[in-house]
Amino acid sequence: MSDSSSDECDTQHVLFKNRPEWSDVTPLKQDDGDEPVVLIDYTEEFEDCFDYFRAIVQKKEYSDRALQLTKTAASLNPANYTVWQYRREILKSLGKDLHEELDYIGKVILKQTKNYQVWHHRRIIVEWLQDPSKEKYLTEEALAKDPKNYHAWQHRQWAIKTFNLYDEELAYVDQLLKEDVKNNSAWNQRYFVVNNTTGFTEQILNNEIDYTLGKIKLLIENESSWNYLRGLLVHDKKGISHNKKVADFCETLYNEGNRSPFLLAVIVDMCSEQLTYDGGDGDSIYTVMRAKELCNDLATQYDTIRAKYWVHMAETIEKQAKEQDIQDTSSSTK
Amino acid sequence: MCALPVVDFERELHRKYLSRFLNHRIPSYLLSMDTNRSVLAYFCIAGLDVLGETEKISGERKQQIVDWIYRLQIDNQKDLVSGFQGSTTLNTKENKDQNTPYKWGHIATTFSSLLTLLILGDDLGKVNRKGIIQSLRALQLEDGSFKGAIEGAENDMRFVFCASTISYILNDWTGIDVEKMIDFILKSISYDGGIAQGPELESHCGSTFCAVASLALSNNLHRLSNNQYKNLRRWLLFRLETGFNGRPNKPSDTCYSFWTGGALKILNAYQFIESDNNPKFVLMTQDRYGGFSKWVNSVPDPMHTYFGLAGLSLMKYENLEQVHCELNCTKRVHERLKTIHANWK
Repeated sequence: MSDSSSDECDTQHVLFKNRPEWSDVTPLKQDDGDEPVVLIDYTEEFEDCFDYFRAIVQKKEYSDRALQLTKTAASLNPANYTVWQYRREILKSLGKDLHEELDYIGKVILKQTKNYQVWHHRRIIVEWLQDPSKEKYLTEEALAKDPKNYHAWQHRQWAIKTFNLYDEELAYVDQLLKEDVKNNSAWNQRYFVVNNTTGFTEQILNNEIDYTLGKIKLLIENESSWNYLRGLLVHDKKGISHNKKVADFCETLYNEGNRSPFLLAVIVDMCSEQLTYDGGDGDSIYTVMRAKELCNDLATQYDTIRAKYWVHMAETIEKQAKEQDIQDTSSSTK
Repeated sequence: MCALPVVDFERELHRKYLSRFLNHRIPSYLLSMDTNRSVLAYFCIAGLDVLGETEKISGERKQQIVDWIYRLQIDNQKDLVSGFQGSTTLNTKENKDQNTPYKWGHIATTFSSLLTLLILGDDLGKVNRKGIIQSLRALQLEDGSFKGAIEGAENDMRFVFCASTISYILNDWTGIDVEKMIDFILKSISYDGGIAQGPELESHCGSTFCAVASLALSNNLHRLSNNQYKNLRRWLLFRLETGFNGRPNKPSDTCYSFWTGGALKILNAYQFIESDNNPKFVLMTQDRYGGFSKWVNSVPDPMHTYFGLAGLSLMKYENLEQVHCELNCTKRVHERLKTIHANWK
C-alpha cells in the first residue's frame, strides 16, 4: 500500500503546498463568510491539509496520494466523519488491501479510544472483510486502558453478535469482575452473553444466582451486583420474593446487621411484590408493615439522600395494600 | 455524606466565558471540534440563555450568527441530505450554494442549529422544513434507530433524540416511523431498568435522557409500562451520590446533573431528590475563570458549562432561567416556538 509511509512517523511534516507531487492541485480555501462564529485557531498544518482535502473532494479524486492525504487529515481531526467516509470510498475504488487498513485503524483506535468515527470505520472495514478475528483482541486492549469504555463494549457486542463469537466470553467477563467487582459494564456483558447463549433456564438461573450472591458477599455496597441479581430474578417464574436462596441470603445479611440501601431496597420490593401476587401472605415475613418500616429506615438513616422517594414508596405500598384489601373483601363476599 | 465546601456562583464569569468562545478564536487544541462548530455555538448560546444573558449579545451580532447558521443549511432533495451542516469545513467559494459531494446535513447539527436560531429570536422562516423532514426519513433504520447522516455515521439513541427534537421543532412527525422508534427505545431498556444506546448495551444516563425525551416529545411516555416506569425511576434516582453519575459505579460528572436530572424531571420524579450536595458538586466544577468542567480540577468546556447551568436551573438555583428539559432550551424559547407553530397553521 503506497500510503504506508506513515505520517505519524514523519519527524518533519512537509506541507502539501510544498510537495512536488501535489503541485498540479489548486488548494481550496475554506469559506467561512465575513463574520464567522466559534472560529477555531487552525494551525498552518491543519489549514494546509484541509485546503488540499477540499480540492480532492471537489475533483472526486480517488488516488494513492488522496488516500495518504486522508490519513494526515484524520490524524489532525479524527472526528471528521467526512474524511473517513472519503477514505473508505478511495479504499474501495482502488481495491486496497483491507487487512492493512485494519492494522492502521487499530493503531488509531488505541490512541483515540473514545472517538465515534474511528470505531465506526473499524466496523465497516470488518464488515467488508467479513473477518472479525481481531476484534476481541482489539477491544480487550482498549478495555485494558478503561474497562468501562462504552465504545469498546459496543464494538465488542456488535462483533460477538454478528459473527457468533460467544465462546470464552463468560471467562473474560469473569476475569474482569475478579479485577473489579464494581465494573458495571462487565456485569452487563455477562447478562448479554447468558441471554444470547444458554438463556435463563432454571439450571442457569440457579448458577447465576449462586455466582452473584458470591460476588455480593465479596462487596455488599455494590449496586452493579444487586442490579444483576434483580435482573436475574425477573426470569424466576415465582417472582423475586419466592426464591428461597435469595430470601435466606438477604435475611441473613439483614440479621447480621447489614443495612445497605441495596439490600433494604430489595427487601422492600419483595414485600411489595407479595402484596400484588397474593394480597399478602399471613405467614410471610414480607409484609406491608415491614416494607413501611424499611422505607422509613431508608428515609431517616440509611439512604437519606433519597428520603422523599422512600417516603413516597411507603405511601404507595400502603395505598396498594388498602386497595388490595378492598378487592379481597369484595371478592370474598361475592 | 461528607459536607462539600460552599462555592459562590460566578454568573458574570460564565457569561464572559461563553461569549469568549462565541466571538473569539478558539484555541487549536479544540481542532477535533472542527466539524461540530455549530454545536459549540449552540452550547454557548443555550448557556447564555439559561443565564438570562442573551440580551447582552448585540442585535448585529445575533444577526451575524443567524446568517452563519443559515449558510450551513443544505437543500438537497435529490440525495436526501437536507439539513444543517455542522461547520464550513467543506465549504469553498467554488462550491457556494451548490450541492457538491459530502455537503450533507447531519442530524445532530440540524437539531442544534434549529435551537440556536430559535434562541436568537429567528422565526425559522428560512428553514427548509419539508426537505429536512423528508431527509430525516432516509436516516431511520429498520430497527427504528437513526443514523447521524446519510453515510459514514453510526446509529444509536442520541440520534433518535435528535430526530424527535427536529420533528417537534418543525411540528411534523411524518419523517419518523414512531412505532418503530418506540420499539427501539423499549428494546433498549436494560435488565437494571435504565436505558442504553441500543438493545443489550449498558444503561447510561445520556441514552436514558435521549430515550425518555423522545417518548415525551412524541407524546408516548405512557408506552412505558408501570413496571418499566418504576424501575427506570429507581435506577435514575440511584444515580445521585455527591453529584449525579451516568452509570452505576462511575464518578459524578457535571453534565449528568442535566442528563439524569432532566430525565427525572420528564418522568415527574425530580421532586424525590433534594440534596444540597448536588448544586455544591456542580459549583465545585466551576472554573475560576468561568465555565464548568466534567470533574473538579479539570478543564472547562462549553458543553459542560451549558449542562452545568441547565442542571443548576433544575435545582432552581440562583434565578437561572427555567429549562424545558425535553427540548434542551429555556421555557421562554419553548413558548416562542409554540407561537411560531400557531403561525404555521
